[in-house]
Amino acid sequence: MRAMFRAFVFAVLLTQLAVLAYAGDQPRCPDRPLPGDPVNNPLDLYSQNGTLSVDLLLQNALDVNGFMHYCYIYMYQGQQIEAPTLRVNPGDTLNVNLTNNLQAPYDQPGAKKKQPMHVHMTMSNSPADDCMGNEVLPSSTNIHFHGLNVPPVCHQDDVINTVIESGDPAFHYSIQIPANEPPGLYWIHPHAHGNTTTQVNGGASAALIVEGSNPLTQGLNERVLIIREQDKMGPARDPDANVQLTINFQPAIFPEGGLPPMITVQPGARESWRLLNATSKQFLALQLTYGFTLQDFEVLAIDGVQLTQPIFTNTLYVPPAGRVEFIIPGLPAGQTGTFSTLGYNTGPVGDANNPDELAKLTTSGAPLKTQAEAKHTVTPPRQPLRFSGLAGLTPTTTRRLYFSEQNVGTNGGTQFYITTYPAAPRLFHMDDPPMIVTNTGAVEDWTIENHSGEVHAFHIHQIHFLVMAINGVQVPNPDLQDTIIVPPWSGTGPYSSVTLRMDFRDPNIVGTFVFHCHILDHEDGGMMAKIQVNPSN
Amino acid sequence: MKKWLLALSVCSFLLSSVASSAANKSTSKSNKTKAPGTSPTLVITDDDNTFHNSLSFYQAGGTVGTPTLTFVSDTATIAQGIGGGFFGLPRVNMLPDASAQCVYASDAGTTDSDIAAVSLSTHLLAGRFTGSATDIGDANGIGIVVSPNYVYAAYTGSNTIATFAVQSGCQLMFIDDVAAAGLNGGSVAGMALHGNLLVVAYGDGSIESFDVSNGSPSSNGDAQNSTGFTTSRNIFFPEGVDITQDGRWAIFGDSSIATNVEVSDISSGHLTPTKLFTISGHGVRVGPGVNSGSIRLSPDQTMIFMGNSDGGSVAAAFFDTRSGKVSGGCTSPPLAGFYNPWAFVGSVVTRDTTGTGGVLYVAEYGFAGSYIGILNIASDGSTCTLTESSASEVPASLSDGLLSIAVYPPRSF
Repeated sequence: MRAMFRAFVFAVLLTQLAVLAYAGDQPRCPDRPLPGDPVNNPLDLYSQNGTLSVDLLLQNALDVNGFMHYCYIYMYQGQQIEAPTLRVNPGDTLNVNLTNNLQAPYDQPGAKKKQPMHVHMTMSNSPADDCMGNEVLPSSTNIHFHGLNVPPVCHQDDVINTVIESGDPAFHYSIQIPANEPPGLYWIHPHAHGNTTTQVNGGASAALIVEGSNPLTQGLNERVLIIREQDKMGPARDPDANVQLTINFQPAIFPEGGLPPMITVQPGARESWRLLNATSKQFLALQLTYGFTLQDFEVLAIDGVQLTQPIFTNTLYVPPAGRVEFIIPGLPAGQTGTFSTLGYNTGPVGDANNPDELAKLTTSGAPLKTQAEAKHTVTPPRQPLRFSGLAGLTPTTTRRLYFSEQNVGTNGGTQFYITTYPAAPRLFHMDDPPMIVTNTGAVEDWTIENHSGEVHAFHIHQIHFLVMAINGVQVPNPDLQDTIIVPPWSGTGPYSSVTLRMDFRDPNIVGTFVFHCHILDHEDGGMMAKIQVNPSN
Repeated sequence: MKKWLLALSVCSFLLSSVASSAANKSTSKSNKTKAPGTSPTLVITDDDNTFHNSLSFYQAGGTVGTPTLTFVSDTATIAQGIGGGFFGLPRVNMLPDASAQCVYASDAGTTDSDIAAVSLSTHLLAGRFTGSATDIGDANGIGIVVSPNYVYAAYTGSNTIATFAVQSGCQLMFIDDVAAAGLNGGSVAGMALHGNLLVVAYGDGSIESFDVSNGSPSSNGDAQNSTGFTTSRNIFFPEGVDITQDGRWAIFGDSSIATNVEVSDISSGHLTPTKLFTISGHGVRVGPGVNSGSIRLSPDQTMIFMGNSDGGSVAAAFFDTRSGKVSGGCTSPPLAGFYNPWAFVGSVVTRDTTGTGGVLYVAEYGFAGSYIGILNIASDGSTCTLTESSASEVPASLSDGLLSIAVYPPRSF
């Protein structure tokens, strides 16, 4: 047995050395925080004189623990900074020059992951023009400006024809932030079909904030928190067991144990938090506990759009790609708090979303004696003009769509579909014609059904929608979102569904763009379709 | 680092010790199990347990109208399964003859045993056997078919088919292995054997046959994409396979958005282009069948039963052995417990060895508990009904994810 033990230790050491040697030949990503480190905001980059120009480098590298990082790098004072927050004002111009430096290997060596059945990626020469809709290679990338209501054209927010190859010259994005863009939290991430899961799970994502004053948050300390997910290296027959959540790149502690990410607040001080779920498949059920007491979040905005009235809730459900902005109550001096996700029931055939303790809260400094309790006295911001009156409009068209899946087994080999009635499901290809064609000025009600036993997250580019009904039950005060949970079907009775009011009135969005499930391996696997918005005559 | 390694090593050692101890206890218990006195009909499961795998034996009793299913015993394989994989892959199988002495079940989760052999008369473990060091089945399981002289095992991790010679006392001797990969990169997802012809479906849209007249499989050079795969723009995938008693037709159940069957004339000893029959789905409404990954001919070959893996139901169609045509049929409602607590339909087998089979047993796969569903078959030759029995569903308590079941005495082909 001693010999067995020695052999085991030797094998583990060899594995570690192999990983180290392997990583030594690769480009590096900036070091990420260690367990127990304080949770810091990402570096803020502010627009000046109406413009924010940023040079980003996307590259990938294995870390010493075997995680493959995909990092957006910004050079700041001679240092590589990962995933800075882009802060712009309505009406500003956002310029991003993206250099693709991705190199093989593109994923963890030896890992077996639940894969969609048909994601075809083959090697070929790099194309000369990144706007031509060329074949997506394993090293291809692009950027989706998630949530922004901007044109779906190349060099702006196009993911259909924009394919940036490794080694190409820096690709220039220039986005005119609409003057009536709702102030709030948006984000950027890669969206090259077939590569999205790998690159986003590797960490390629960053917050994008459209600034705007909100009297409810004036004077409060602001935190930008990004929950990401990373897949571990190693034998991974069950991919669900090899997922680790991070908060601002710091590993959450459960089930790993060890030191928790630490958030230190001033005693008694309320804080304004902007939280992005940048995971590929984790549905968060966020809770905050002080001592043994569950706290209420004061929710101000969802998916970048301020609510007509703040909502007070002790559990926040956030789908992949969802954003929430909220105020947390002050933590009394000497107490500790726990910020966690409860886990989520993704349905009988869904991926496990386990509970996780995301961070510990402690206090430091002098207690705050007084703080304006604005929540009951300040009038909430108005609904932005951009989507005004949407709830009262009569839809010009109604449509019925459904998510469905098809499996050859329990371990993957899955086909993912999104389909419009009465058509039969078909596999999505990037060169497919649009599934839906409409005109600017249209206001449409879409009912999205779920025919599978797995939760999905519906997302549409370029616009927000009003959530009118869930499972056929009208929502009393519809909110604007760009990503929504579509609950799993129970196996009997009517299919689960959401009914959404789509706003195609903005001529800014003329063009072809996509809607899809934002569980990213579903999207990569084909649970996506195109919509073409033509100019109205 | 050293402390971390030490802790990991100790944990690993303790875990393996516990596992080994538990496995030994389980084996002891199984060895004491008495064999059934007479020859009742037995339903046998490969429990595919990821910790201690086993075969479970259930006695099929009652009548056709009121069938029962009662747990009898289990036999530990002293190895591990993987708790999942392809729907149409036969993980537990025996010679299709009432004289069968042995049942073979796969253990895809361990390297020191791939196939467990169990005596049908004593239910005792007769042996554990492995293929070559490069035969790996932990991706989606190991499929097994049995001839009088050989057992063929398809490994879904290495894309190989291993040949084992059958010896006395249910013993196997590994002979060799051959590569078996689909045209589109798939691995064997379903397989059936008739005489010297081994037919496989790769789960990627392609199918192939092998000549086993010399023992080891040799490709007939007929690998091809199925008609359903081609015409559906790559969304129908032949998966489960069955072959008629006369060896004329190979029948494939498709993983698909509907209930589809494809039939190939193999009377020449080779696969010919398949003919696609849609039993239910868009435009052909027999029932809400979704997916038909597992497939089974009735003993009299007048009916084809299909597990609607993603729809939670079972479908049946009528089959004409003269023309190879598939028509009409029926679909059960979703079976009790679909999506709560179980999630997928696995293999389907008939109880009786004559007629339509009388009763269907269905593997019901669950992440948090698996079951065996029981259905009554009623057919007048042109219409049919599949009705879930009041005795359904029976817990498969030892299973980590039940996909494969067999019946003894077996169907004769």
